[in-house]
Amino acid sequence: MGRRKAIQRVALVAAVALAASACLSEDGGGDGGGGGGTTSGDKNVEIVFGFGGDQSKGFQQSLEAFQQSSGITIKFTEASQSFDTLIRTRVRANNLPDIALFPQPGILKDFVAQGKMTDLSTQLDVNKLQADFVPGTLDAGEVDGKFYGAPVSYNLKSLVFYPKKAFEAKGYTAPTTQEELTTLSNKIKTDGTTPWCLGMESSAATGWVATDWLENNMLVEAGPETYDKWVNHEIPFDDPAVKTAAENFEKLVLADGNVLGGRKQVVSTAFSTSANPMFGNPPRCFLHRQGNFITQSGFFPKPIVANLDAEVGVFQYPGKTAEEKPMLGGGDLAAVFNGKDDDTKQVMAFLTGAEYKGWSEAAGFLSPRKDFPLTNYKSKLTQQIAELGQQASVFRFDGSDQMPGAVGSGSFWKDMVAWVSGQKDLNAALKSIEDSWPS
Amino acid sequence: MVKVINALLAVVAGVGGALLLYWVLNFLTERLPGKWEGRIKPYVYILPALLAIGVFLLYPVAQTIQYSFANQTSTRYVGFENYTDLLGERDFQITLINTLLWIIIAPTIVVALGLAVAVLADKLNTRGENLSKTIIFLPMAISGVAAAAIWRFVYEVRPEGETQIGLLNAITTGLGFDPVAWLQQDTAKLNTMLLMIILIWGQTGFSMVLLSAAIKGVPEETLEAARIDGANERQTFFRVVVPQIWGSIVTVFITVLIGVMKIFDQVYVMTNGNFNTNVIAVRFFNELITNGDAGKAAAIVVMLMIAVIPVMIYQVRNFRAQEASR
Repeated sequence: MGRRKAIQRVALVAAVALAASACLSEDGGGDGGGGGGTTSGDKNVEIVFGFGGDQSKGFQQSLEAFQQSSGITIKFTEASQSFDTLIRTRVRANNLPDIALFPQPGILKDFVAQGKMTDLSTQLDVNKLQADFVPGTLDAGEVDGKFYGAPVSYNLKSLVFYPKKAFEAKGYTAPTTQEELTTLSNKIKTDGTTPWCLGMESSAATGWVATDWLENNMLVEAGPETYDKWVNHEIPFDDPAVKTAAENFEKLVLADGNVLGGRKQVVSTAFSTSANPMFGNPPRCFLHRQGNFITQSGFFPKPIVANLDAEVGVFQYPGKTAEEKPMLGGGDLAAVFNGKDDDTKQVMAFLTGAEYKGWSEAAGFLSPRKDFPLTNYKSKLTQQIAELGQQASVFRFDGSDQMPGAVGSGSFWKDMVAWVSGQKDLNAALKSIEDSWPS
Repeated sequence: MVKVINALLAVVAGVGGALLLYWVLNFLTERLPGKWEGRIKPYVYILPALLAIGVFLLYPVAQTIQYSFANQTSTRYVGFENYTDLLGERDFQITLINTLLWIIIAPTIVVALGLAVAVLADKLNTRGENLSKTIIFLPMAISGVAAAAIWRFVYEVRPEGETQIGLLNAITTGLGFDPVAWLQQDTAKLNTMLLMIILIWGQTGFSMVLLSAAIKGVPEETLEAARIDGANERQTFFRVVVPQIWGSIVTVFITVLIGVMKIFDQVYVMTNGNFNTNVIAVRFFNELITNGDAGKAAAIVVMLMIAVIPVMIYQVRNFRAQEASR
């Protein structure tokens, strides 16, 4: 063999080996912590969480003063792109953090079933938490009467936004019951404007806006007990109650002339900017139901975001009566892996305590505590939203986040899209979701 | 910073390790008595490559086939259930039809357009040729997801009366029609075709470059001979040029075809398979990642593999025939 050829081959094989070693190193990459969480009294606590960007920065800053006063060093492990994958891998490898903030109660419950999580009553005064927190926020992390997750922050979805100036100029008022909402919607229509703005297109995640709507209507119309049964599949997915909730959504929003652009286009209209025609002159719609995230920058038009308090109004999606104020939402549930660590206990106590301010001075944080001072929030709009949360009669977690993945981010999305766009009728869509529920 | 150091270390250790391994193996074989050195050396050199193929290709294939007969979590055998379930399902049948359409239409258009551009650019002066080729080749450098992101703006729709930022709807409404939700139009598979355009836009450059090189390799004498015999331009092209570059045409066609069989990013980003645009790779992804059904996902892959094998065999034969005729 010629010398040059030999070198060529060696280089080729080296390249192959290199590619292979690159693949392997990814698995074991990073600086892995010790197994089973950090030990007690070593003043080290690791928190894994699934949000990134400003939220992550805000969260880390919110614990700075605490770290200094308590002498505990907190290791922040951010997994903004792949929380599920990271936490599942680490649990499988028994490389446990001390605390994880679960955005979806489903995975937390999986780990509870595997015996990996610590009953919060060994860490905190759960009864006091129950009294301090918005009712229902702790229930998401409940298994067999024990609580495993305490929300550190939460978000609200049963909110309807409207263009404040035009809304008030027309003499409209925020409805307090479902009947009033229907009346308002009809009035806007007879006044010559399409009442609702709605967009569901979200690239590969198209469908979640529709599932939020159905969950919202299920919670409001069928009540929290039926809602829970539906989410936990104790009643079939295509139960008559679900059908009624979907039909009412159809009547209120999807019907001819009720939604801007017409029913069929809803699934092709980007959710992020779908509310913007609301701020036209004159407004092209008056109502938009969406989570509180929509008030952060990047969604409403820039001049509106710059002047939120004057431009944007909000009311809670009304219940059947003025007293019923059920709220759909989500949150980050703090759960403890290693229950024998005093440092962890201190961190948990701080995160769930009255002094914890989160990143309320920036945007994107709502505290699930009922006694959280509203003045901590910068904008009037956020204060108003936070107040709606604190006054909610009952809070429920986003149902699709709790359903198995094959349903929650699979068939539920796809079949709702097929139904809204008119490819499937309601019965067929609900039946198809029911059939896809893993046995 | 740590990551950069890690990466550098991996490069040094990987390359160095491989070099060292070969050096040691080479050193050992050289110690062997005369004849044996020559006999054993080739195998010593090829062994690691074979091992790598075995571990990273053959073993996963065997395991995938095994999993395709097992349940969701690969803990129990279910026979042919995954296959019968999939093939009996209306959505999956549509997925197969769509994939078939992709396979037939996309490579054909890519080759035809690439060939047309190559031939026409060949007639331009050098500057014009380079410029037009560069422009057509540019999309090739854009990843599938980015291309899809660009084309989302072309197909974007806003409610009637709003400013249409989508190119297609800007034209539609400019002509006085209502805005159209293009990606929802599944009449005559229009939306699938619209998705194919993205791939064609990206791949034509690749096809053009290879075919242009092939055309330039056609000996001038054959063309002259044809012209002297009285052939017109069209006859010269189809009877003289095309047969001589047929091998390149087939290679381009099959390369694009294999790529199309695995088409994923454009469809996933644009529609995620909604509105009857699903293709096999997106369905596979959703079965594995969203539904967590390893059995069905494996069954889909096995079907895809079976479909690819004849194409590969044809391509290998074609390649060998070309090599032999050289």
